[in-house]
Amino acid sequence: MLVLCAKAAFAVILIIAGGAKLADLAGFAEVLRLFIGTRWPAPAYTCIATGTAFAEVLLGCASLSFPAAKWVNLLALIAGCAFVIVSVTGLALHRGRSCNCFGALSRIKFDVQGVFRSVIFAVFAVLAMIGVGPSAVRLGVTTQALLLAAGAMLISVSFAAAKALAALPEDIRRVRSR
Amino acid sequence: MITSVIVFIVVAALLCAAAVITVFGVTQVAMSDSAAIAHDGLHRGLAAPTWSLPDSSGRIVRSPPSKPFQLIVFTDHSLESFPSVIDGLKVLAREATDLEIIVLLRGENATAVAALGLLGLGDLPVVAGKPSLYGRYNVRVSPFVIFIDSAGRVRASSLVNYEWQIMKLWRLANIPLLPDPPSALRCFPRRRLAPKAA
Repeated sequence: MLVLCAKAAFAVILIIAGGAKLADLAGFAEVLRLFIGTRWPAPAYTCIATGTAFAEVLLGCASLSFPAAKWVNLLALIAGCAFVIVSVTGLALHRGRSCNCFGALSRIKFDVQGVFRSVIFAVFAVLAMIGVGPSAVRLGVTTQALLLAAGAMLISVSFAAAKALAALPEDIRRVRSR
Repeated sequence: MITSVIVFIVVAALLCAAAVITVFGVTQVAMSDSAAIAHDGLHRGLAAPTWSLPDSSGRIVRSPPSKPFQLIVFTDHSLESFPSVIDGLKVLAREATDLEIIVLLRGENATAVAALGLLGLGDLPVVAGKPSLYGRYNVRVSPFVIFIDSAGRVRASSLVNYEWQIMKLWRLANIPLLPDPPSALRCFPRRRLAPKAA
């Protein structure tokens, strides 16, 4: 039960994070810029930001609707480990700066809580990888389609909300994060 | 196995619903903040929506106006709670000859038309708009006023509670718009490196 909750929760987190990032690609591109030592043209950062956001969304949807697929769980585990690496690196090098993990939906910063949060996400991914046998969650086509639709709805909701919040002036968003 | 599948589907559905509610909640809290509402309306210099609608007497009202300026008042019968704003509108209607004042309602509202007449604003054209038109002006709360020039550009825009605010906005609206600034760079600013000493 706990394992299935973790699996579904990680998928939902990935979808919301990806959808929100898609709404504020410029903000996420700025964060990427912090992690890439060499200077590239601005469109390169935007391309990476777009790719990352789409990858999160697709992985989340795949994880939600194809829970039995082992490769999806493996990719989710890699994503969870990447979150930990990014949050630890961010804490070490850019402490206090916004990580834009959920776009404009939150003003989460690189801090100790952020590392704990990403470790929890990684634990979710590990549980999904090792805790569920492929035969335990083999879904029918209709169920997969319904879960995929739920994922699409989540993407649109998080995208729209993040877009609306991104339009607010920065000082208001800063007040909200306090 | 079937139990696991059912548990997964139920948990996934519940988490999706919880996520949607949470995202809506976060957005609602942020957007209803008074500081956020203070940024409603349209920025000075932006193009205002264009439309033509009949007023309560059947006369077609257009925006942008044929006069040099147009004041759109976004309100309804609740305007009676703002006597100072009513005074300001009366002063402008009397003194500003180059200004067309119209009241734009969120929708058909006979009560509002009657109330505005009782408040002494019966001479102003009252137009029944739509929530979507309010949305195009980015107006959520009232009384809100937007000054527009004959070119369809926003000259001033704000939520108002007092007469002096309307007068100040009117003075601001009379200040000509600056020419368009050069388009902002769409890329990250490059760091300028100091030339190395030879």
